[in-house]
Amino acid sequence: MAVPLGAFVAVSAVLFFIGTAGVLVRRNAVVILMSVELMLNATNLALVAFSRRYASIDERGSVFVIFIFVVAAAEVAVGLAIVLSAYRNKPTVDVDELRQMRG
Amino acid sequence: MGFLEGAFFAVLTIGIIGAGAGVVLANRITTSALLMAFTFLNVAGMFLLLGAETVAMFQVLIYVGAITVLILYGVMFTPQVPRPYGLFFQTQKFWAALFVVPIAIFVALVAFAFRDTAAVGAKGGDLLPLATSVFRDFAFPFEVASVLLLAAMVGAIVLVKRDDE
Repeated sequence: MAVPLGAFVAVSAVLFFIGTAGVLVRRNAVVILMSVELMLNATNLALVAFSRRYASIDERGSVFVIFIFVVAAAEVAVGLAIVLSAYRNKPTVDVDELRQMRG
Repeated sequence: MGFLEGAFFAVLTIGIIGAGAGVVLANRITTSALLMAFTFLNVAGMFLLLGAETVAMFQVLIYVGAITVLILYGVMFTPQVPRPYGLFFQTQKFWAALFVVPIAIFVALVAFAFRDTAAVGAKGGDLLPLATSVFRDFAFPFEVASVLLLAAMVGAIVLVKRDDE
């Protein structure tokens, strides 16, 4: 039995949901960044699966995956820089206690 | 071959879901980071199973290599007083649950109602079509992506630079 497309979509959905739960439920800013990366990975999985399934339309899905890689790298670099500079002002990465960016 | 594919898929699925849940549930943040790297490795295995070996290689290089190291540096530079387990969930548990549960139901409905029984698998490499797309149809977005990376690098340096030197 070869693996159907729906199975990949289901795994991707579960991973995306795990990431969402991590973002909403954890307090540590670094863990929130990790959960966002999990969500991006879930979308990558769905994109690649669909792109392989409908390969007649020229493998475009994998191109978007490459761009997601770029954006994820940029996002995690800037996100960690924000966390580190906030940590320098007040030694915590707890998002409940970081309030200096509140308007 | 078909059975082997299914077995690989099952192992990778267990790895992805188990390690992904571990990232969210682990108490020690270093454990979370390493489990995240393990999740990325399993997703790379999924890409290999799909026959997208170029994307799998990029996944290992960028996610398992670069992003995990970056996150581990972030963990290293932000030492924490260890908390007892239940405390590290947010105080607004009720609102979080209010969002999480509908999203979970919706995602489950969408994903498991999806019916496409055609098998997905390897059929030729993906390097050639990928390179053709990136350097022909997506050449301009490719250049813009490099500008984005440069801007992110400069921004990260500016954000963490100390003012007193």
